[in-house]
Formats: sequence, structure tokens, C-alpha cells
Amino acid sequence: MEVKEIVKQYPGVLAVNRASLALLPGEVHALVGENGAGKSTLIKIMAGVVRPDSGSLFLNGERMELHSGLDAYRYGLSFIHQELNLIPYLNGAENIFLGRPYPTNRFGMVHWKMLFQRAKQILGELGADTPVDVPVCRLPRGGQAMISIARAFAGEAQIFVMDEPTASLSDEEIRHLFQVIRQLKSRGKTILYVSHRLNEIFEISDRVTVMRDGSVIGTFAIQEVNQTDLIRNMIGRELNKSIPLSHSNPGEIILEVRNLRGGIVQGVSFDVREGEIVALAGLVGAGRSEVLHMLFGAIQPEQGEMRLYGRRFQPRNPADAICAGIALVPEERRTQGLVLNRAIHENISLPFLRAFTSGTFLLNTASETAAAQSVSRQVNLKAASLKQKAAQLSGGNQQKVVFARWLLRRPRLLLLDEPTRGVDIGARFEIYRIIRELAAAGMGVVLVSSDLSEVLGLADRIIVLREGRQMTEINASEVSQEMVLHYCYGEQL
Amino acid sequence: MNNQQPLASVDIPKISLQRAAPVLWLRRWGTLFGFMVLIFVFSLLRPTTFLTFRNWGNIIEQVATLAIVSAMVTIVMVTGDFDLSVGTLASLAGVVAADLMANRGWPVLPACLTALTVGALGGLINGVLVAYGGLSAFVATLATMTAYGGIALLYTNGATIFANIPESFRWLGQESLGVIPVSVIIMALVVFIAWLLMEQTVFGRQLYAIGGNSQASYLAGIPVQRLRLIAFMLSGLGAALAGIILTSRLFSAHPQAGNPFMLNAAAAVFLGATAFREGEPHVLGTLLGVLIMGVLGNGMNILGINSYIQSILTGVIIIFAVLLSSLSRRKSTQP
Repeated sequence: MEVKEIVKQYPGVLAVNRASLALLPGEVHALVGENGAGKSTLIKIMAGVVRPDSGSLFLNGERMELHSGLDAYRYGLSFIHQELNLIPYLNGAENIFLGRPYPTNRFGMVHWKMLFQRAKQILGELGADTPVDVPVCRLPRGGQAMISIARAFAGEAQIFVMDEPTASLSDEEIRHLFQVIRQLKSRGKTILYVSHRLNEIFEISDRVTVMRDGSVIGTFAIQEVNQTDLIRNMIGRELNKSIPLSHSNPGEIILEVRNLRGGIVQGVSFDVREGEIVALAGLVGAGRSEVLHMLFGAIQPEQGEMRLYGRRFQPRNPADAICAGIALVPEERRTQGLVLNRAIHENISLPFLRAFTSGTFLLNTASETAAAQSVSRQVNLKAASLKQKAAQLSGGNQQKVVFARWLLRRPRLLLLDEPTRGVDIGARFEIYRIIRELAAAGMGVVLVSSDLSEVLGLADRIIVLREGRQMTEINASEVSQEMVLHYCYGEQL
Repeated sequence: MNNQQPLASVDIPKISLQRAAPVLWLRRWGTLFGFMVLIFVFSLLRPTTFLTFRNWGNIIEQVATLAIVSAMVTIVMVTGDFDLSVGTLASLAGVVAADLMANRGWPVLPACLTALTVGALGGLINGVLVAYGGLSAFVATLATMTAYGGIALLYTNGATIFANIPESFRWLGQESLGVIPVSVIIMALVVFIAWLLMEQTVFGRQLYAIGGNSQASYLAGIPVQRLRLIAFMLSGLGAALAGIILTSRLFSAHPQAGNPFMLNAAAAVFLGATAFREGEPHVLGTLLGVLIMGVLGNGMNILGINSYIQSILTGVIIIFAVLLSSLSRRKSTQP
């Protein structure tokens, strides 16, 4: 299969820029790149879910016409996603045969015995012995992955695209998965393997393609490269110089976090001082957002202690945290940040509505609108009117609305979760300016970002999390992007 | 830098306004327009009876109880929930009030207050199940609807209570202050309070926010669970009040008398939602919906249309109205 000169433009972002890639029969081909490098978009294009603006795909020299996911399936492509597309209440055999005729007995009823037998046989060919007669929701993640692969295998797929297949697997399950991948390879199948885990890539793949900022940087035989080369190719050389330089001057300690645990988070400790920007770096799924949600009262930690200005702090819900002067700009502004079908001014005043009442409970729209006007000017919001619905704004302006909201009451601690994701470059720098100004005015900031140049450009200190564990705490002035990435991937320099 | 960035936010509304002007007009005023057409048609067909002061007095008195239920159900529906139990809850409150007065010799006021408490309690149970128990509003209130209806039947043994109701109880549903019936005054007050709550207070704004995006509302510090619970209590309270007034008007309490409120209130809220703000429930829209239902029923009665056919026509008209508004909305959101 060949991917040629694919271009995909999204509003404000060139997601894939003339990307080309060739998959050889019987190879395991790894695809790596930072978050947002365009891997996912490229895969979606191969799956027929997203249509490219230009460029084409070829299979055995013939041009592929992909209009839907079904088309890709007909061409023998099979996709195993991070969220496995299984039906949780059906058993393994039913999932494997989903969309294909089940074997029937002479009354036209499902021949269950034969169905289970065939499912077992398929799994056996893969060297797996996952039970096929229990609902897949009761299988461990590794078992679910096997069922998912078996389904693709039974569909006689020639090309298996695996997107972060090991993200939630145990070491044991990963070892098993690799055996299956080798099995597939020995049968001449092609595997496109997308992963953040570089050590896996060196273990399993034959060739590796690196993407950065939507472009394919290069394809290398795995023997020709080492980790450092890969990381260098993934992040490129240029640091983002346009972020205003840090000249912070930290004051007293606002927040102390000690040994925070709960869910994926396995012991995180750090301090935040007034005027300081502390970044939580790490890969997707490292537990960064979870830490922020614990600080904000949206998740209850199982263990550990938080102190705010020296006082023990245990928010039961976001309202408690807001009361204590904490603000959160959440990761998903459309689902967690904004009420899209309501006006901008309503979104701004939402957390502090009680401040805009006349008498005891009637809303004072005039004072509300005036306050909303004032904070939208501070963040340089561009909107025709504050009565517009939030849905009508561009991504960057939507994010400014979320920032503006918290400026109504200057919080003492600002929690930012991917504050510039999906934000165009112009608005991005305005957001950096706002963050800087707030810190300079004495606010403490905890920043979660997958954009390393952003982390290095903004943060005073960087805490690296990997799989919920705190790997290190480093001074931002002392590190390079490569060093941070090495910690994220859990490798030593 | 800012000037070079073409901002979609500034351009989009202008374009869609120009292109979709008739569609927007239909969405904004279509329901009201339909209401006018309805009045016009009935006036043409029965000029001497339909457009009279007395007939309109009748219509408004007829819909007073439905308006009370619907206004309060609107509050629940604004948060994105649904309350199927209002009908049987109204029946239950009606029989409780009647029983306390007729069979246990309670004075009118304590009996009515107790019945209102029953309504609030019914709403509380709904709210706890939905907001704290995590059940879907549809499933939870479907269950409580059945249970409340069962309690009403059990309480009266299926019989209608009509003997020994004190005469002074007629005041609520049958008498007037000046020319205006007491029930209509109560309706006006309830609708006004519901409108004030939803449109002019922090409470209402927060409920609309929850309906729009409950997760974002929670992360903005809004006590989502508590507010959803309160919305269900208000809905239960409205149902009980309507049930009591209905009992006074009929001067008897049948254990299923209030049951039709549920479907009619839902229809009124849906009809009303087509008249306002992109299909969100709105108290004044609901009032319009209630009036449409009332005028439709009244007009068809005057025309002597068979009541079975009336039901069919009412259903068809609701489908037509909601379909029309959702079609116009879909068109206008397409770029």
C-alpha cells in the first residue's frame, strides 16, 4: 500500500502536509511523532473516515477510492484502535464474526457450537487462547485486543493498522501481542504500528516513519536509527522563539501537593509559588489532567495531601475549589468548558452569577454584561457581540471566553489543561501573553501541555509524569526538549 | 497580526442571516403564526360562537390547570430531563386533598397544603433517583409514574371521592375574583413566577446552562445535582397544585383524573419549544403551546368534530409543528 502526497487542511491548522508513506508486504512499519503531528489524521484518511483535500492512496499499484469505513474494509484494511471497537455485551465469538454471516444449523438458527469452534480456531492460529464465550466487557484489556485482532484476521485483512494498541495493556499482554504481530508478519500481513513507546518500536518494527507538524520527516530502517535520532526528528530543531521570555520572580508558596494518589495517579508531589508557572509534562494518559481535576475537586484523590496557603485543602467539588480561588481551563473546551448554545456573556458569568444580582435573587443583566465586556477586552476577544452564541466563535476565541470567565474574580491558582490545543497560531500567542501577565501579577499557574515548546517556553519548573508516576522535577532553564521527551518516554539519556 | 487573521466568528452570523432569512423568520415566528391561522380558521367557520369573549374565557379557564403543570414541567425540561410522573402525581394530590377534607374532616387549607407536600415529595423522589441515583429521567419517572398512579388507586380503592367535600373548597376551581376565575389568577401567578425564575434569576440561568452542557456547568462550580433535584420538586409541586384545582373544579376526586396532564403538558412544552430560542423549552413558549392545545380542542368541539378524530388531529398538528421547526433549524445550521 502506498500513501502519496496527502494534504489535509483543518480551519487554522494544516493537519497533514504532503505526506507520503509506503507499506511493504510482510513488514511491521512504525509511525511515530509528537501529539498533533498528524498521525491520527493520516490514519483516519487511510480508514476512509476523513477525506483528504488532495493526494491519493494506492493498493498494489491501483488507486483506492475510499468514501467510508466500509470501503477501507473491502480493500482489506483493518484498524485496531486504542478504544477497541467491540460490542461489550456480546461474547468474543460474536464479536469476531460481527458483520459476517454466523454459521447456521438446518433450522436457520445460529449454530453456536460451530461459531465458538471457528472463533477458537481463528484465535488458535494467532496463538491466543482467549475465551470466546464470555461477554468481552468481562475480558481483560489484553483479551479484548486479541478479539479485536482476531476479528480483523478473520476478515482476511491484509493490512493491520494498530493505533496505540499497548496503551492499556500489561507487560504480559504486550508480550503476547508482539507474538501475535510476529505471527501475522510471518503470514505476509502488513502492520502499521502507531505508538508513543519507542522501546516497543525498536523491539517490533522493521521500518519507522517519523512525522512532525503534518509532514513526513523520513522513513528509516530500524537498524539505521537510535532513540536519540528518532526524538530529534520528532521534535525538529527549532525551538519556538516567539513565546515571551520568562522573568518570573516567585513569591510565597500557594499550593503544596504531597503524594497525591488516585486512579492512574501514583504519587505526585510539587509546590506552586505565587507568580510561578509549573508545567506537568508527559504523554497522553500519563495522569496529568487527573492531577488537575483532583486540585479542582472534580476527582477525589484516594490518598495524599493538598495545602493551600498552608491550610489543608480538600475540595469536595469544583464549587469548593472556585471558592478557594482556584480556576480551571479544561482540556476539552467544547464539552467541558463552554455551554455552546448559550451567549458569550452567559458563558463568562457562569461561575460567578451570584455577583450579578440586584436584590437577593434577580439577575442584573446590565452589570453582568458590563463585567463580561471588561474581561473580554482584557483577553482581546473578537466577537461581533457578546450576545452571540459561544458555538459561533473560532477555537481560539472560545478559549479566550473560558479565560475571560476566570478573570472576573482573579483566582490565586490557575489550572490550564492544554490551553492552546486546536487554537490557531495568532490566538495562541495572545493566550501565552495572558498566561504570562497573570503570572506576573502573582497568580500561580499549573500548566498541562503536550506541546513541548510551549512547556519549555512558558514554565519555570517542569514536572514529568509517566504512567501516573512522577519521574522528575526539573528547572525549565536547564533542560532541552530532548531531555523532557526522554523522561516522558522513560528512557535515560 | 490580529487584522491579518480572518476571523470566522465575525463572518458566520452575517452570512447565515442573509441566506436564511425566511427560514429564520419561520423558526422565530412560525408557531405564533400557526396559532393565528388556527384562530382565523375557527373564526371563519364559526364567526358567532368562536371569537366571543365568553368562549375565550372558557378556553382560558379550561387550560388553567394544564398551564400550571406545563409551566413547571418546562423547568425540568430546560435541564434536559423529563418528568413523566406529573399526571399520576396530580391525580394522587387530588385524591389526598379530597380524602382529607371529605373523609377525615380536615379544613380546606391544611388539606391542600398536605396535598402540595405530597407533590413536592413525589418530585423529591424523582429528583433523588435522577440527580443522585444516576437513573435516566425517562426510566425513573416512568417507574414513579406507575407507582404514584398505583398509590392513588390504592388510596381510594379505585373509587371516586365526591361526598362530604366542604362547599368552601369550590372557591379554588369554580369561583371568581371580580370577573376573573380564581384558577386563572393562580395560573397567571404560577406562569409569571416560573417565567421570572427561568429568565431573570441566577437559578434559571444555571438550569439553562445545565441543559446546554452539564459537565461544563459542573466544572464552572454549579451544583448540578442539587439544581436538578429542585427542578423535579418544582415540577411535582406544579402537578399537585393542578391536581387540587382540578378536584375543586370537578368537585370530586377520581384517582386517574389528572393522568392526561402528562401527555398534554409534554405536547405543550414541545410545541412551545418550537416558538423560542432554537428549540429550547421556554415558559412563555409553553404558555403558547397550552393555548394552542386549548384553542384546538375548543374549536374542534364547536365544529362538532368527533372526539376520537380530535385526538388524531391534535397528534398530527403537533408532529407537523415540531417537524417544521426542526427542519428549519437543520437548514439554518447547515453552512
